[in-house]
Amino acid sequence: QDRRVAGKVTGVDGPIPGANVVLKGTQTGTSTDAEGNYSISVRGANPVLVISSIGAKTQEVTVGNRSTVNVTLEDDATALSEVIVTGYTTETKRDNTGAVSTVKAKDLAAIPSGNVEQQLQGRVSGLTVITNGQPGTTSIVRVRGFGAFGGNEPLYVVDGVPTGGINFVAPDDVESTTVLKDAAAASIYGARAANGVIVITTKKGQRKAQKLSISYDGLYGVTDPGKGQPILNPQEQADWTWQAIRNTAAANGVQPDFSNVANNQYGSGQTPVLPDYINVGGVGGIIGNVDLAAAKAKYNTNINAGPIYQVVRANKAGTDWYDAITRVAPILRQTLGFSGGTETSRFYISLGNQNLQGILLNNSSTRYNFRVNTEFDLSKRLRFGQNLQLTYLSNKGITGGNGGRGVSADENDILSAFRMPPIIPIYDEFGGYAGTAAPGFNNPRNPVASRDRIKNNGTFNGLAFGNAYLEYDLIPGLTLRSNIAGQYSNYYFNNYGPRQYENSENNTTYTFSEGAGYSFGYTFTNTAQYKKKFGIHDVDVLVGMEALNTGRGRNVSGNGTNPFSEDISYVTLSNLSTTGRQVNSDLFSGVNFYSLFSRVNYIFNDKYILTGVVRRDGSSRFGSNNRYGVFPAFSAAWRLSSENFMKNLPWVSDLKVRGGYGLMGNSNNVDPNNQYSLYASNPGNGYDIGGANTSISPGFFRNRIGNPNAKWETSTTTNIGIDGAFLNNRLEVIFDLWRKDTRDLLYTVPLPGVVGVRASAPAVNIASMRNQGIDIQVITRGKVSGDLTYELNATGGFLQNTIQSLAPGSPYFDAGGTRLNGNVVRNQPGHPISSFYGYKVLGLFNTTEEIRSAPTQEGAGLGRFRYADLNGDGKISGDDRTFLGSPVPNFTGGLTVTLRYRGFDFSAYAYTSLGNQIFNNSKWFTDFYPSFTGAAVSARVKDSWTPSNMDTNIPIFEGVSNFSTNTVPNSYYVENGSYMRLQNISVGYNLPTSLLSGIGLQRVRVSASANNILTVTSYTGLDPAVGGAADSNFGVDIGNYPLTRSYNVGLSIGF
Amino acid sequence: AQLSSRAGLDGLLLSAYAQLNARGFTQSASSFNWVRGSISGGDANKGSNSGDFNALTPYQRYELQAVSGEVNQKWQAMFEGVSRANATLRTLASAGSDVSDADKKRIGSEARFLRGHYYFELKRNFNMVPYVDETKDYGTGVETIANDKDIWPNIEADFKAAYDNLPETQSAAGRANKWAAASYLAKTYMYQKKYAEAKALFDLIIANGKTANGKKYGLVPQYSRVFNAEFDNNEESVFAIQAAANAGSSDNANPDLVLNFPYNTGSNGPAGCCGFFAPSFDLANSFRVDAKGLPLLTGVSEKDQAGGLYDQGANQLKNDQGIKSSEAFTPDAGPVDPRLDHSIGRRGIQYLDWQPHPGLDWIRDQGFAGPYSPKKFVFYRTQSKVLTDGSSWTDGYSAINYNIIRYADVLLMAAEAEIEVGSLEKARDYVNLVRSRAANPEGFVMQGGKAAANYVISPYTTAFASKDAARSAVRFERKLELSGEGHRFYDLVRWGIAEPVLNSYLAYEAPKLPTGFLGAKFQSNQDEYMPIPQTQIDIQRGVLKQNPGY
Repeated sequence: QDRRVAGKVTGVDGPIPGANVVLKGTQTGTSTDAEGNYSISVRGANPVLVISSIGAKTQEVTVGNRSTVNVTLEDDATALSEVIVTGYTTETKRDNTGAVSTVKAKDLAAIPSGNVEQQLQGRVSGLTVITNGQPGTTSIVRVRGFGAFGGNEPLYVVDGVPTGGINFVAPDDVESTTVLKDAAAASIYGARAANGVIVITTKKGQRKAQKLSISYDGLYGVTDPGKGQPILNPQEQADWTWQAIRNTAAANGVQPDFSNVANNQYGSGQTPVLPDYINVGGVGGIIGNVDLAAAKAKYNTNINAGPIYQVVRANKAGTDWYDAITRVAPILRQTLGFSGGTETSRFYISLGNQNLQGILLNNSSTRYNFRVNTEFDLSKRLRFGQNLQLTYLSNKGITGGNGGRGVSADENDILSAFRMPPIIPIYDEFGGYAGTAAPGFNNPRNPVASRDRIKNNGTFNGLAFGNAYLEYDLIPGLTLRSNIAGQYSNYYFNNYGPRQYENSENNTTYTFSEGAGYSFGYTFTNTAQYKKKFGIHDVDVLVGMEALNTGRGRNVSGNGTNPFSEDISYVTLSNLSTTGRQVNSDLFSGVNFYSLFSRVNYIFNDKYILTGVVRRDGSSRFGSNNRYGVFPAFSAAWRLSSENFMKNLPWVSDLKVRGGYGLMGNSNNVDPNNQYSLYASNPGNGYDIGGANTSISPGFFRNRIGNPNAKWETSTTTNIGIDGAFLNNRLEVIFDLWRKDTRDLLYTVPLPGVVGVRASAPAVNIASMRNQGIDIQVITRGKVSGDLTYELNATGGFLQNTIQSLAPGSPYFDAGGTRLNGNVVRNQPGHPISSFYGYKVLGLFNTTEEIRSAPTQEGAGLGRFRYADLNGDGKISGDDRTFLGSPVPNFTGGLTVTLRYRGFDFSAYAYTSLGNQIFNNSKWFTDFYPSFTGAAVSARVKDSWTPSNMDTNIPIFEGVSNFSTNTVPNSYYVENGSYMRLQNISVGYNLPTSLLSGIGLQRVRVSASANNILTVTSYTGLDPAVGGAADSNFGVDIGNYPLTRSYNVGLSIGF
Repeated sequence: AQLSSRAGLDGLLLSAYAQLNARGFTQSASSFNWVRGSISGGDANKGSNSGDFNALTPYQRYELQAVSGEVNQKWQAMFEGVSRANATLRTLASAGSDVSDADKKRIGSEARFLRGHYYFELKRNFNMVPYVDETKDYGTGVETIANDKDIWPNIEADFKAAYDNLPETQSAAGRANKWAAASYLAKTYMYQKKYAEAKALFDLIIANGKTANGKKYGLVPQYSRVFNAEFDNNEESVFAIQAAANAGSSDNANPDLVLNFPYNTGSNGPAGCCGFFAPSFDLANSFRVDAKGLPLLTGVSEKDQAGGLYDQGANQLKNDQGIKSSEAFTPDAGPVDPRLDHSIGRRGIQYLDWQPHPGLDWIRDQGFAGPYSPKKFVFYRTQSKVLTDGSSWTDGYSAINYNIIRYADVLLMAAEAEIEVGSLEKARDYVNLVRSRAANPEGFVMQGGKAAANYVISPYTTAFASKDAARSAVRFERKLELSGEGHRFYDLVRWGIAEPVLNSYLAYEAPKLPTGFLGAKFQSNQDEYMPIPQTQIDIQRGVLKQNPGY
């Protein structure tokens, strides 16, 4: 006899719409409406309802005799009961045997970055995210270490569709994020799984009769650029210039000669004198007044009209160039969501807009996104659904390679701010820019002018990403699914390069370029899944096939110089000078994959869980010899807490031990052309054989030596883990001990010079790497007193990365660094990837006796670096270089503290990265007088070595540039890069439901937060989060874009 | 298969020509050798300031290390040229039916000429290098060839084959022809002191030689035109790197020379960057002549080549070191060789068609680089953005050809050969041919309607007193005529006088520019050659052997 039970499901934030209410042990179920109400038929002697909702803890309620059952779900359901969406299947973490982490959408959205990958930093144990403060930047995202020398990006899967990046995904649209870390979890993605898989699903709405719910989420804030690096003020710079001349003279054994120092800007006397004007018609060092009226008549900044004539007054107080190129930058993110459904359909539609202004002038990221997700029951057994997002994305003024992540390795405007002498003002006397056209200050470029001049540069992408699927329930438990997905992208850019009349270099040419391109990729997936419970046997079998192309398309671009008119609305490729105007185009065909996969999951009596996964992939990246690869994985788990002997341990709520072993592949790190030997032709390799002086004939040169035998890189992962919940779920511990051995690593063997190095060397499967570590997540929660609850969520990952082998006869390969003789990074077996390499500084030479008794060292002198003679041969040579540290952190982790009191919540989030070093290459520019004589100087030199200041590690400030001063990589540049950052503190308040119902609102939440409040580090550069051109070359800081303090307020409304 | 067509083969060959300037590699890797040939030879110092591109400073201090990236790139760049020549020869074996026998012969011979050139460069820079021909490639043992043999015979064989098989004139001015091969072969003999073979060949070249575009070998009437893009491929151009501006990539426009311009000139001077390759005090002084217009020589070759009479007392050229541009300065009024002001930019003298050199205002760091600017291979104001590349960050990419061998060089080498195995008088005739061209008053640098300085130059009117006096004169003539053109260091080494001459040079130069030179020393039996790059030794472990001293 059925009877009706009704009730209301509420959570911390009020009523929970769309919660699942199921009669335990049956297929009977329903979900709550927009107000959290439900109604269900129950039967049986002792009916029990199971109530679940994503993001809440599942609860079982015995109905008894009641006809109204109101349920309050605890928010923050335990991590173990979270739903894991792998793309092909959905399961609970409770029954999972692999290494998997999930991140709550709410935690992601708390970080005011518009970029989901940045928001993952510190949220997942074993996930390393190295990023910078540039809006719109990409980041280095690594799951469980650095498995290869390149192509280590994880695979992203959005709503079941594999893709290369997620910068188009709006954080407010995200419903769940799952990170698959080991083979047991990820090898269902086969050849693309070795770097882990990050699976994102977007919101879908609920399938039930309901009224439309509307949500608004808004975030507004500002980012403060903070302070720059300490730089000598104009008087100090003049004084230290004189000091350098004295030191140099002393080292050379001659009398100091101040004539023509800094092109006489500071006079030529025994003490320097600051000038009143640094540039009057090209002449510097002017003391006294200048007839400005007369000068104005001669003023000219247009090279076409005649010689440049500027009048630039000395800024004796000093220009703060960092302040000049930065600003307090606003950010705004808004999403309007509509969701709803009927018994046979559901939908979610959102409109989003995000505008993030960077702290650097004319750096911004703007995104508009429109999403429609729907699902319909076409019949009782047949469902149709689709997801589609249209995106406009415009990232402007970004510097650094690979979409911004390489910014730290650039000689960019941020570096310029610390190289530009503060005596130079931003503008000349008549409104033009001022710069190093004033003699004696070397070659920094006015960074304000640089930023201003990119103002009109346009760049945008138009993206469409989506899929459509049919699902058919053939027999009970067996579902067939067919999915077709596509991604289309179109981009356009233009770059203006006006003449730089104010600088010492590059001042005669106006450049312009523009270009566009498109790409289209598809994915076609078919799966069959059979899920059935036979008594105490739970069986879940999935088989499938997938065919995809990563994107084919074309690019076209042109460039040239000196448009007839420089009016911005006139400058096009057509109007440039015909001399030297170029057009270029290229095409690409993408990479094809064809794959078959299967997964079997078996659970016995809720105690023993066995999972097997296998995928066979074929890819056009590889030659026909080795085109296909098979990637199996096995895992098992034992739920101890279901055993009888554990039942009498009431403090154990759930305890599971699991282990897995398997293979994953990586195919990213090889050019699809690697299988071919190729010759190429381009203007850079033509030749003017006819002696025409302005034209060339094409030349053909070998640009690639092929390897038809290249195949996947294979990672073997071993994972042992424990999932435990204790003390009635108040304490949860997830612990994983893991090892990932990558073999057949694609390594581009260095070509001996005798082969001709303009050919790309073939990538061969020869190297190997080991990553191993421990991932820990600990959550404790409980009541402090009364309504005050707390939760602590700590994640941490220990990582050890070691290159195991390169090719036989290939002892190492080098990369990275600027302006020093030789590279600063060496990748060598036995050491972590991207290790810093150079001479070890023991100290500075304090006495001539020390120099005499020390091993022979070229250029040795007082106050200069004293290197370690590591091979003990009595002389310092290349053989004495050694490993000086690595940018790979030993530990990264995050800690979130959340407190809740009635409608209030408070959370604080800290991130830490420990044990990594940074190669602070920017010191080359700022700490040595001769590096670019005349440019700005770091305030560090105030503590530089002098005969009366020997207790220092800052070398003598002098004019000599040699092996013992500033020409070679050494440990002076290597700094401890560990840091701890308090990334977010936020306070929120949910208005009481009682108050809202009167005005027809379901939910109102206001919040405020502060970000990057505090960074604890001993690193002396601008910011310790230093990325670069990962993976074999990162952690080198030349001009990093800092992550600085920001404040924002948020408003969420549900109608 | 497309590559074995006529057009394909020609493209392969052209890519081998393209590598002459070591495009894509460091400036010091170029066949121009302004760093190793001229800076290490004492023509100039690195220039700029002490920290900028300081990887070049060891070249002026003879402190090269096996780990130097510059050294490695020279190796890589020249072997890239070898590999392209070999690729041409390899593909030639399967030439398509549209390739005539004459074309096969010509293409093969040009490729061998170029291979000869690249190995010549490797030989004189590194001495012991592995010899890779077209029969060995990647995967077929190329990396196992040791550097244990003298490769002069291989170089000779390539130039001989080119000499025997190349036509006298070619369809394109830039191609190597029979006489270019003859000249290079003779130069190869000179480096091996095979003076008799060299002399025999020089006699033929001087009698019959012509350029690829059919001009009988001769000296252009005005010295400055050797360094002017408008006069490329003239009768003096035996074999040149063809430069082209605005041709789609600045790699065709002397990327190896882009740093070698005065600094911060604004629009008043060329390029504005970067102040490298500053001529030395010693070189400037060398242009001092006596009242008759002859150089100040003692007749003892070793003593005359650097730190000679011209570096003493009032003979030294007056310069503006330590004087502001705004302060008065009167240039030297004494007699000087007119080639001085085609070779060296100095205060007060008209700088091409730009303006008189202002001194300090165009110098980046006088204390490090001295007062002089380079002047050869600098473009004229009228050529800016026409014969210079407009698409780049500087105008310093120009279309000026660099002559790897020019006829004046041939004449002076012929004179050397005559001194050793022929007639001193004939040697004097050859030297005088070169001096007479320099004496053409139409070629003098003019300023305000008259010669910019007191130019005096005359031929050697009396017979050389001795072989050694003749050597001194001819060798010094090479210093004057070919300064800044990448020859000097190699000449000093092949004459066997690098150690005394360069240490004399350092002794004179170092006190004037202590920051760049103090403590530097040339070590004999080591510094004559560069080290074999450590990277290459590491990659080809057990195959390559390091040079002595490194």
